[in-house]
This record gives sequence, structure tokens and C-alpha cells, in this order.
Amino acid sequence: MAINLNNSNVATRENRIGSITGYLGSLHDLASQSECGTLKGCSRCFSQSSTCLSSCALGQLSAIRDVAIIHHGPAGCSVAAAGSYYLDKVMAKKRGVTNDTVYVGTDMNENDTIFGSTEQLKKIVLEVNKRYSPKAIFVTSSCATGIIGEDIDSVVDEIKDQVNVPIVAVHCEGFKSRIWATGFDVSDHAVLQSIVKPPREGIKSNKINFKNFYESARPEIIEMFKNFDLEPTFLYCNSTVEELSHISEALATTCICGTLGNYLGNALEEKYGVPYVRSINQCGIVGFETWLREIGKVTGRSEKIEKYIKEQREIYLPKIEEVKKELKGLKAVIGMGPGYTFEVSRVLNELGIEVVWALAWHYDKKYENGDVPPSMKYLLENDIDFGTSISDQQNYEVMNVLNKYQPDLYLSRHPGSTVWAIKNGTPAVYVADEYMIFGYKHTLDFANSILDSIRNRSFEKNLAKRTKLPYTDWWYKQSVGEFLVQEKV
Amino acid sequence: MGELRQIAIYGKGGIGKSTTTQNLTAGLVEHGKKVMVVGCDPKADSTRLLLGGLAQKTVLDTIREEGEDISLDRIMKEGFGGTKCVESGGPEPGVGCAGRGIITSINMLENLGAYTDDLDYVFYDVLGDVVCGGFAMPIREGKAKEIYIVASGEMMALYAANNISKGIQRYARTGGVRLGGIICNSRNVDRELDLLRAFSKELGTKLLYFVPRDNVVQHAEINKKTVIEYKPESNQAQEYRNLAQAVIENKDFVIPTPMTQERLEEILMEYGMMELSDDYKI
Repeated sequence: MAINLNNSNVATRENRIGSITGYLGSLHDLASQSECGTLKGCSRCFSQSSTCLSSCALGQLSAIRDVAIIHHGPAGCSVAAAGSYYLDKVMAKKRGVTNDTVYVGTDMNENDTIFGSTEQLKKIVLEVNKRYSPKAIFVTSSCATGIIGEDIDSVVDEIKDQVNVPIVAVHCEGFKSRIWATGFDVSDHAVLQSIVKPPREGIKSNKINFKNFYESARPEIIEMFKNFDLEPTFLYCNSTVEELSHISEALATTCICGTLGNYLGNALEEKYGVPYVRSINQCGIVGFETWLREIGKVTGRSEKIEKYIKEQREIYLPKIEEVKKELKGLKAVIGMGPGYTFEVSRVLNELGIEVVWALAWHYDKKYENGDVPPSMKYLLENDIDFGTSISDQQNYEVMNVLNKYQPDLYLSRHPGSTVWAIKNGTPAVYVADEYMIFGYKHTLDFANSILDSIRNRSFEKNLAKRTKLPYTDWWYKQSVGEFLVQEKV
Repeated sequence: MGELRQIAIYGKGGIGKSTTTQNLTAGLVEHGKKVMVVGCDPKADSTRLLLGGLAQKTVLDTIREEGEDISLDRIMKEGFGGTKCVESGGPEPGVGCAGRGIITSINMLENLGAYTDDLDYVFYDVLGDVVCGGFAMPIREGKAKEIYIVASGEMMALYAANNISKGIQRYARTGGVRLGGIICNSRNVDRELDLLRAFSKELGTKLLYFVPRDNVVQHAEINKKTVIEYKPESNQAQEYRNLAQAVIENKDFVIPTPMTQERLEEILMEYGMMELSDDYKI
């Protein structure tokens, strides 16, 4: 689907790429329905949780160094500001840089809602610009401003000349998508519209755009890429506006998570011809090697990469094989965002662990280029199948699955989710860091973490014995999809 | 003095809701009734004829300029025959949210104690169609229990009336709001009376009154007066008195049964097409 950077509004994932938040069945069925176009998402007549795409979008943008987020809405809409502010400071400190991004809410009141408040918004933007001298300004909507149609685009147009930095309207009304990850696309769109410039002539870059969350493996990835004469630019956490303005000059774009990188990668390819590396991700051995080879191919560095793979294999493969012996035959349930669920399932399979059920918090039927996500394609081609549900972090569904399958292990990437598994008596691995399974070394570490988690299960057993969970026996006997309702077509 | 009757007047934009409401109010005043008119339109022109001009500061403007600590007399003016006149007001065209404005101003009227015991009638004159929740405010939360829809024999007026009935039906399920009938503000189109009767019947209600077209209405408006005040002896003044009588005596309140677009078009075909369309002449 063509990406339209002339319009400040991004279509939702549901509209653009047919994403869904409700499904029950198997991986093969999900995939075949996606391909033949019959997949329809289900809604729930009972929902336990939901997240807002605006916190996702603005969290991404506020992680860029020294910018201003001006969130036009009632005070409560800016609730995520405190969390973002804290996280941004911590991440900057960890890296040894400073991030002076400001996150300002416009505190709309009843009168502003009735009469509109674009005049006040203008004043606030100009004042923020004067007081903090940000390197870029994102003027963002909220549900209230979205409903009353506050014309933030015109505000931006009118004051563009008065602020000498990139400024853009960001439409991130929380109600417009059930899919949190639409926020990633909204933030990418804003960056592409306002900050990214066309490539400068005569610049020969050896840079590769690396879209990730918190760049925890930054030093080792920089080291690794030195072997191939490549230099990664990590996005957006701790990115500078200057760095972002030149990402159109890179040799390629890659990402740690397809859900996160899909929009930016495809847009840079479509608009500036920067190749987007569309392989399975770097988790596990097959994933890491496939990804590296793809980078080798698009950047013309295959020889160096093959050499690196050969060296690393010699170091790590025997060690991984050793741990695998102890993991063989374990049964696992996983619950993660779709960018990880189908990648980590592949790694578990590689380690000899059987995935009995996978929950993905949403599912993208296809990516921006029209293809089925590569992680899914890989599982299908290798004839790997398991029970699958699409569930937007509905804990009651996770608990139902855990109770039914009583797996040896539960893996999740989201805080809180693993705690519930442990209370159920199921050992759990919290795959918090996005680089936890990255490459040979971290795949080995990951295998060892699993081994540590299942070796002594007395903690989980004892905790479960003393914990009364809120779910009734009735619920455990029901189908996981009991509260799913087929959406009208 | 009987129980307070709160009445909302809906209908297509430009159909004559404000004119009809104010003339009806003047008729009721002549019957000795105490009436309050609440204009629910950002244009704030629902009480012009009763007040002799756009003399009213709106509730929302007052709140905006003076805060919420205001007294009732700042937003309520006395008009023809002692009627109490309030204009909700709202934002400039194209900005903000007029619907939210109505919610806020009606709540404000309640908080300020505008609904006094001596009132017999409160009229809400609501802008155009029920486009969002805000414009349904007068019929929510136990405010207006009676609704009259102003219509004419024109297709779009009936289409809007049918649409408004859908909104009434929605709130009738949970609240006590009922449709009291259709008031025809005649446009002199072919077989208008028959068409309006058939349409009203299909909606499960009745044609409460047929107000004929008369130029004196236009003259009175130019003079910023109701017809009853401007030309009390005219035929049209009597028509409005009759309308007031019909409202006073009305006891038929129903949950409307809105029709499908197809059915509406069938009725129009049956009554609205005297001749073949190719006979149309300018």
C-alpha cells in the first residue's frame, strides 16, 4: 500500500493492513485465512484490558532527544507524560547522553471543548518554542480534540514560519484503533513528514537504520557491524533530530521487531529507495543468520558476513547444543506482541521446546508491502503448527490457556503477564529486553535462562499453593474464545 | 397551575422551528400560561421575536467571560407577555463542539434553578437534525418529555423528521420521552396535508396542526415580533392560537415507529407526485 506523506493522518492498522485483535484457532488456519482474505477479526463481549495508541506514539516520539511534544487535550490525556519523561531520562543516562525533551499537555477545559482552543494552542506552541528551544515540535491530538475536530494542521501551518525547527501535526486519537501498535506508525509518519530530508547529493554512507526500542545491545551491535564496515543508527530512543534528518541516506533499514519497524522501513524504501531488510528477526540462530545474510545481500557485504557467521558458529553452536539436550521435550505457552510471538515460537522450536499455544496481542494480516509477516511465513514453510489465539492482553484468556495446557513454561514480553503464570504454578521467563535472544550469544543466554527457570520449580509450586486466583472453575472449563463475538462483515 | 410540561421542538434546518415555537409560545401566553424558551442553537436566534431582537447574552458566552459563578438574571431575559428567554449559544461556525455546549448550558440552567415552580411550559428549540449526543440532550435525563417535529411536504423535511424519530425512539426505550405529533409549517406543496397525515400515521403519531403559509409571518419577523404581537387580529395569529390550543389539549404521546428509506419514498410517490416529473415547469 502506498504511503502518503502529504496527509498528516495515518490510516489505522485495521484499515491499512487488516490487523485484528480477536481470533481462536491454529497457526495454519490463521495464515491460510489471511492469505485467502477470509480472516475477520473478532471483538469481545467482555474485555479486561485495552491500551491507547497515543501513549505508544508519543512514547516513541518523546524518546527522540531535545524535542517538544505538545499534547493538545484535557490533562488526563497526558497521563503517559510522567512515564515517558522518566523512561527517556533513564535511557539517556544509561547511554551517557542527555535528553531535554519536554512533554507538555494543553490542559483543555470545558470551554475549550465547546468553543475550540486553537488560539491558545498557538500561544502554547510559541511559548514552548521560546522557553525550551526544542529541535523539533510535535503538536498532537487527543480524543477530545479529535472529536471536536480541532484543526491542529492549520495551527501548524500558520506558525511554521515563526518556529525555525521542524513542526508537525500528529493525529493520535486513542479511539481510532484497537491496536496499540498503530501508534508506532503514527510516530513514524510524523518523523517522515517533518524531520527526514531527501538524501544529500554526493554523500556515501555506510550507515544502516536500526529501529529498536531501548538500544540495550548498542555497543555490541556497533562492534559487530564494524566487521562489515557498517555503522548502525539506532532509532528512536536517544536519536537526535540531526541523525533522523539523514536516515534517507542509509544503505538499508532493519528492525528488531516487525511490528515496530514495518511502517518506517517500507516508507523509506518507497520514498527514498532505502532497502528494507524483510527477513525473520535476529532471535535464535536461524533468525540471526538469515538476517545477517539479507543485510549482506542488500549492502554488498556477503563475504564478510559469511566469515563472521563461520567464526561465531564455532564458538557458540556446541554450547547451545549442550543446553538443548536439557530443554528437549519441554512444553511452552507464549504471549507476546505479534512481532515477537511468531519469532520466539521459532526459536523455541529450534531449541527443541514444543510450543503448545501462542497468544499474540494482535495480528497483522500482511505488512505494508502486501506480504504475510516473514516470521509467519517461516513457520508455515517449516510445517510448524500450534494452537493460536489473538488476544489484546486479555489476562483471563492467558490464564485459561495456562490452566488447560499446564505447560512447563510461559514466556511473555509484557510486565505483569508472567507474574500471573507464576501464581498459576507455571515457571515463566520474562523476555523483557528486546535483545534477550539476539544472535548466538544471547540465544545461548536465553536457553540457559529457560533452564534456570524450569530446573527448580518449587517457588512457583509453593506460590500457587498459597494463591487464590480470581477465576472460577467454570471459566477454566470454557473455551478460550468464549467471549469472542464474530464481527459483522 | 398544572405539572410542568417540557417540550422539545425538532425539525430540519430552516423549516421554521424558531418561528413556530415563538408564535406558539405567544399563543400559550394569551392562554395565561407561564413559558420559558431555551434556544439550543449556536446562532442564538430562538428568542428574537419574543425579545424584539437579538438582545440576549448566551449562557455559554456568559460562562466563558464571567466563570461559572453567575446569577440566573445574567442569562435569562423577560420577553413578550412575561416569557422567560434563554439562549444556550455556542461556538463560531466550524470550530469547537456545539453539542457539548448544549449539554453544558442545560446543566447550568438546572444548577441555577431556572426551572421554577410557577412555569407551565419549557420549550427547547433545537438546531436542525439530531446530529450528535449533544443535540439529544433536551430529551435525555428526564428533561423534555414531549417532542413535536416541525415538517413540511418537502422530501428533505420528512427525511429529517424520520431521522429525528430514530433518536426519539432510542431515548424512549430508557426514558419517558414521547412524540406528541407533527406540526406542519406549510410550504404550499401539492397535497401537503394528505402527505403529512399519511407520514404521521406511518410514524405512529398524528398531524397535530397544519399551519398555513402566510406572508404576515415574514413581516412580523422583519419587525422582530411574533404574529400575535404584530397583527393580533390576523388569520395567522388565530392559527397560532389554535396551535397553542392543540398543544394544551394534546394527550397522545407515542414512541415513534421510524420507517425505512424505501417506505418513506413510497409515501412520497403516492402523495407527493401529482403529475409526472417531466411536466415540471419553472
